[in-house]
Amino acid sequence: MATFELYRRSTIGMCLTETLDEMVQSGTLSPELAIQVLVQFDKSMTEALESQVKSKVSIKGHLHTYRFCDNVWTFILTDALFKNEDLQENVGRVKIVACDSKLLTQ
Amino acid sequence: MAARRNNPSGIVPTIQNIVSTVDLDCVLDLNHIALHSRNSEFFPKRFSAVIMRIKDPKTTALIFASGKMVCTGAKTEAQSKLAARKFARIIQKLGFPAKFRDFRIQNIVASCDVQFTIRLEKFACTSHGAFSTYEPELFPGLIYRMKQPKLVLLIFVSGNVVIAGAKKRDDFYTAFDNIYPVLAEFKK
Repeated sequence: MATFELYRRSTIGMCLTETLDEMVQSGTLSPELAIQVLVQFDKSMTEALESQVKSKVSIKGHLHTYRFCDNVWTFILTDALFKNEDLQENVGRVKIVACDSKLLTQ
Repeated sequence: MAARRNNPSGIVPTIQNIVSTVDLDCVLDLNHIALHSRNSEFFPKRFSAVIMRIKDPKTTALIFASGKMVCTGAKTEAQSKLAARKFARIIQKLGFPAKFRDFRIQNIVASCDVQFTIRLEKFACTSHGAFSTYEPELFPGLIYRMKQPKLVLLIFVSGNVVIAGAKKRDDFYTAFDNIYPVLAEFKK
């Protein structure tokens, strides 16, 4: 089953990738196993976000750039306002990368 | 510059949209263009062209792998050419040897208001009926296909008239001059 590797670009994903790279370099871990770990990370992230995350946030801002290629949408917003029931936060510049969830189940 | 036609009513149609095409004369890698340019969309399963938009002039271009490009959304002929040149410049900056061949305006859409209501049913029943299609259940406007110049006018009861299919500005000035006295006949 194909996975969305976009979560590997998040802070936690980058730390995992770095750690795994170090272990492969030092020989403690085989490259195939490292790839298996990353694939499992992708699956776990997708599942956790689907089932365990309930909060919704509304993002409003000025669309600076948009791109749609390879079924991936990339948006760059300026002066964005992230609004939740409890709090709101103003962000000067935000990049949103989005993949179509229908492709996972194909 | 062509002089404005002397229309007794003094009404001049305003251009709403211009569609033009140009040949960039080189094969393009659409994936590369979509990945490296701003404000573009490429969904090959749905449509095999990159859809790119620029803010000034506010226009949209359809860029095909063969190197042909369609530019829409401009409000004047000069703006359409400028926008097409801007798009060609973007393609050039991405590394393709784009040229600017055969710029041609394919369609101009204009609209205006004759300031009086029109009796469309009467209009369709007269000798002009040969050129008209009026089916109020299907579409509230009368579709008038003018032979000379060859373009289409959409005439509405409110007096609004939309002229489409012109390749030159003069074409629709002529068309409007032709249709105005006819419309005045059927004023409500």
